[in-house]
Amino acid sequence: MVEKEKRYSIWYDEMDGKDYPIVGKKNANLGEMIKAGIPVSPGFAITIYANDQFLILSGIKTEIEKQLGTLGQVTFETTKEASALAMGLIEGATMPAVIGDDILSNYHKLCERAGVGACPVAVRSSGAISMPGQMETYLNICGEKDLIDYIKKCWASAYNVEAIMYRMNKGMPFLFNIGVGIPKMVNSRVSGIIFTINPINGDPSKISVDASYGLGEAVVSGLVTPDTYLVDKVTLDVIKTVIGSKATQCVYRDNASDIVQRDVPGDKQKVPCLSAEEIKEVARVGKLIEDYYGQAYDIEFGVDADFPFPRNIIILQVRPESVWSKKEVEAKVAKAKDPMERILGQLLTGVKLRQ
Amino acid sequence: MAKTFMDPHDVPTISGTEGWERMYPYQYQFSKEDPERTKFESSQIWYYDGLHYPEPHYPFDLFWDEAWFLALSQYNSRIFMVPPAMGIDHRIINGYVYITPVGIPDPNEVGKRVPLFMERAGYYYQNWDTLFGKWKKKVTALIEQLEAVNFPELPEMEDISVVLEGKGVSSGYELLKRYDDLINMGLLNWQYHFEFLNLGYAAYVTFINTTNQIFPGIPMSTLTKMVSGIDVIMYKPDAELIRLATLAIDVGIDELILKTSKAREAMDELAKHPSGKEWLAEMEKARYPWFYISTGTGWYHTHISWNDNLDIPFDSIRMHIKSLKEGKEVGRPTEKLIKERDRIVEEYRKLIKTDDDREAFEQGLAVSRTVFPYVEDHLFYIEHWFHSIFWAKIRQIGAIFQNAGFIENADTDIWFMKRDEIKQALWDYVTAWATGVKPRGPSYWPKEIAWRKGVYEKFKEWTPPPALGVPPDVVTEPFTIVLWGVTTDVLSEWLKGGEEGEGEQNTIQGSPGSSGIVEGRARVLKNVQELADLREGEILVATTTSPSWAPAFVKIGGAVTDVGGPMCHAAIVCREYGLPTVVGTGKATHLIKTGDLIKIDGDSGLVTILERAK
Repeated sequence: MVEKEKRYSIWYDEMDGKDYPIVGKKNANLGEMIKAGIPVSPGFAITIYANDQFLILSGIKTEIEKQLGTLGQVTFETTKEASALAMGLIEGATMPAVIGDDILSNYHKLCERAGVGACPVAVRSSGAISMPGQMETYLNICGEKDLIDYIKKCWASAYNVEAIMYRMNKGMPFLFNIGVGIPKMVNSRVSGIIFTINPINGDPSKISVDASYGLGEAVVSGLVTPDTYLVDKVTLDVIKTVIGSKATQCVYRDNASDIVQRDVPGDKQKVPCLSAEEIKEVARVGKLIEDYYGQAYDIEFGVDADFPFPRNIIILQVRPESVWSKKEVEAKVAKAKDPMERILGQLLTGVKLRQ
Repeated sequence: MAKTFMDPHDVPTISGTEGWERMYPYQYQFSKEDPERTKFESSQIWYYDGLHYPEPHYPFDLFWDEAWFLALSQYNSRIFMVPPAMGIDHRIINGYVYITPVGIPDPNEVGKRVPLFMERAGYYYQNWDTLFGKWKKKVTALIEQLEAVNFPELPEMEDISVVLEGKGVSSGYELLKRYDDLINMGLLNWQYHFEFLNLGYAAYVTFINTTNQIFPGIPMSTLTKMVSGIDVIMYKPDAELIRLATLAIDVGIDELILKTSKAREAMDELAKHPSGKEWLAEMEKARYPWFYISTGTGWYHTHISWNDNLDIPFDSIRMHIKSLKEGKEVGRPTEKLIKERDRIVEEYRKLIKTDDDREAFEQGLAVSRTVFPYVEDHLFYIEHWFHSIFWAKIRQIGAIFQNAGFIENADTDIWFMKRDEIKQALWDYVTAWATGVKPRGPSYWPKEIAWRKGVYEKFKEWTPPPALGVPPDVVTEPFTIVLWGVTTDVLSEWLKGGEEGEGEQNTIQGSPGSSGIVEGRARVLKNVQELADLREGEILVATTTSPSWAPAFVKIGGAVTDVGGPMCHAAIVCREYGLPTVVGTGKATHLIKTGDLIKIDGDSGLVTILERAK
């Protein structure tokens, strides 16, 4: 096998965090999550090396270097010109066969794994240096032709005006190769949010799962009342299930990246959208993520209709829990001299046990 | 809570049972002669003790109720001086026992009891293991004494030894005395039963509440896992059957046992082979005391033990042999259970954030673990071992009565007499024997018992309301909560239930027993003898279960019981096997039929009938 540095593409599960100079940070981070046992949507990364080879083999690198010299002094105007030039060249070029074949061969494998022809994927930029929000990500890309076109668009997005200016201010060179991630789009039968604590009272022994049909937007934006499952973090037993109304769901419009709302059939509204084993698995993954990062987390997940359980549970996004984690924790139980005093106190106050 | 249940004095008598009151002690009746007592009765919350009594009471079997009525109450009120609690009062209506916790309303009185309680209960908590060791000796000595009591027929003529040894008493006197002895032993057995139980539950309830403060909503099942023992004596009988099944395979007599269908037949066959004889000797060793395990809770005389019918353990041995030969895991996965218990405790420990909480948790856990062996093990000694022998002794008296024409059937009739009435009838029998005349019994009892049987059948058709009287704001008595699962929330649920009216009922609310949701075909089993009908993956629906049902739990997908709280046998076993379970539904065996497609939710306690069997 060719060494990683000279490959055009690498599967997520073949890499780890240290590989960020080869595939970019976002991609490498996914590899790291998989290594930790956190399930993410399957896919592969197109390497920074592939981007570089694309520029060389297509002659764009020479062309740009030649023309850059003629642009003269750097101004906002000339940056705009340079951007238009580079983006035009990249988007207009033909993908060199060695690179294109490699990408498409992996794409076919991905389609096969998902059991979906022309499997919808995302095309996500992934730089080796953090440059938040400056490069593009494209969702719901289907089929070979679009895939290749959008990979080029993604590469080209490193040359938008903001990105060029940002690099110039940092004294970085004009040419900038990035990695691209090609994860399968999660065909979300259900999406939701996991809190690895009880968000109501901060109880760290619970995991709370909110879930509803379709894409996560419905839950995140408060469009629907989702199901809420409260799970015991230690035993992973479901303690409480509250069925939400779940009247509508968000889905992608066919072959497009914009989202539309659809009604949820009445009989599906009244039943839990996750099965008992799915709830348990989602909670297990939430606990794993908390253990991995060493603090309470707020996690977005999807349940992919194209995969059987348990491979259908997919983690979409993770971030540290921000409310309870910042609060000072106070003792919940009153001080007592000894166990006898506790028992006495108990007998005197009585019990109102929750049912 | 504004609404109240029906006043206990207003519960109508079932037509055709008029006069039923004479089947039970007079102090068990709700009455209106004394305004003070009437007012007390009307203002209390009385709940139906379905946990112990899924069926109406046989007049004799009420003896155990009287015994625990006394024992539980006195330990609260007069021995340990539990500050806010007196005893639990009892009544009977249409054959069903209703109970109510009695508190101490005067805060000064409660305050005076505090130091007394600290001294008295403190002594027991501090010396728990020593006292429990003494307890086991006391109880086993009592059981030995019980074993030794027998009730032979009265002789035509006394043996010459009565004269030669100058005994000075007759067999008739002996018979009367032995009956008194038997009853006294039964009472003493129940005095012992509660020696530790009130304090055990108080400690456990304290731990439950402490952990609920630290981890709001922590499931009772998780807490039980933390404190429950692994080497629990209640599992020993089934472990013995597994040992016998394994031994049968080892010495090559397994096929022989599998071929037979009755115990008698199997034992006759085994006796013909040397290795079969050895195996039978091993079984005899296991029988005492382990086969005294009851097939039910031990509360009714109908709950026979394995020793009363060896077909039952033999059926289970056959199931175990089959499972072992198929390479299945049988019995309790003890190592896994220990690991799981330790893991749960360790993980919870790590989740505690402050030192005060940590101290409260550790203290609660330590005390609970001290008291739990008693809470778990006493059942075998008292309700199974002692009761099983006791019932057999009463059957001996039944045989005497049958021979004397007092009753028609030794096994089924004596239970329709109160314990005092048995004493009276024995007097009738003994004095007639002594005098050489015909007793009145044969012309009195068969008619009376026939009538009582009719009344009993009518009682069975009646559905006792879950509660009567006035619900309190907060339920505080520890037994009421832990054992019966009666909380303020449950009471309001019961109040709601009354509004819905009758009709086809497709959902049944019980208590969560063991977590999880499962769907499957129901198998309604009335007793352990029907276990053989059970199919793989079915949901077991039973009045109650006991450890003698153990072979069932490897086969089923889940369980539903009529009676029991989170601490009942079915709930504990199902948690170990990871089977979703709902307990304490009150009426699942009446509403669900074998073959119905049902769904049970072990987290919410809801049972849904999805599709009726054709």
